[in-house]
Amino acid sequence: MDQTEIFEKVIKILTPYVKNQDALASVTAATHILDDLKVNSARLVDVVLEFEDIFEIEIDDDDVDSVETVGNAVALIESKLG
Amino acid sequence: MASRQFDSVPPEDRRSLKIQREITRLLSPVALSLVAFALRYGFGYRIEGLATLRADYRRVCRESDDPTIICANHLTLIDSFIVAWALGSPWWYLGHFRTLPWNVPERSIFAATPMLRALIYALKCLPIQRGGERRGVTEVLSKLAYLVSNGETALVFPEAGRSRSGRVEVESAATGVGRIFKSVPNCRVICVYLRGENQDTYSNFPRRGDRFRGSLEVIEPKTDHTGVRGSRDIAHQILARLADMERSYIDARK
Repeated sequence: MDQTEIFEKVIKILTPYVKNQDALASVTAATHILDDLKVNSARLVDVVLEFEDIFEIEIDDDDVDSVETVGNAVALIESKLG
Repeated sequence: MASRQFDSVPPEDRRSLKIQREITRLLSPVALSLVAFALRYGFGYRIEGLATLRADYRRVCRESDDPTIICANHLTLIDSFIVAWALGSPWWYLGHFRTLPWNVPERSIFAATPMLRALIYALKCLPIQRGGERRGVTEVLSKLAYLVSNGETALVFPEAGRSRSGRVEVESAATGVGRIFKSVPNCRVICVYLRGENQDTYSNFPRRGDRFRGSLEVIEPKTDHTGVRGSRDIAHQILARLADMERSYIDARK
């Protein structure tokens, strides 16, 4: 699975949790998930669990700390997919 | 099994925590008495069955030296102080200082001014920015895990924030408590459900003069999952128990 495909899937997973829908229109790898997309921090774990289910990977607690931007999420998933 | 979180607490932070603990212990005769006085006579709160609740906590503390996390329902900004007051008298805590729980109050509220920061420092608090930068949150969780693994007690709200519905929200389980639990071998959880009779939903403070009732239960959550899913599973189990305790509370009021 290439980076673009992962990126698109990540956005699709994030979409229901995004409060700032306007930010979705111009989303890039640098877009901050909490600050820009206004995803509730308490719901971030639901997003991560969906990453696990959709990409069939396992994410450690510590890995979540590195996920701040969409690009971070894509990089993490890419690294887990090997 | 040594945890990565223990390792991640740097020596300088360990020293700071030790210093805070000792300062807190020195100040506790005054600080704890003032808090108890403020809750009882300033706010006029009373706890129905206070002696029983405190006896239950003393019994649980006597029964085992296993690392302990207290998990409670969360409806007001001062729940952590009320829970600590409900579980032990200032005099009990003086003699059993490790049983006075460390708290993680919201930084933007409880550490907003130097005076507040000093106050919460003296009350075994580690301010946390909920919803803040992940590494900052993890740093505080690591400190809590370190403290619990070294015989201290921590009070954590598994919902992370005050319940907006006024009821225990199992689906709002944050992963913080699960992360701490998984990283501390032989950890046990004391679930505490405490609520004022006039507390219909969440608020900043319980109503003045409110009468609280509560109970506690010890659980040992288990999970076959690892990673984030395991942490969420642990938090779910704790909140499910708190939801059961809430049903008993409501049934008892009918």
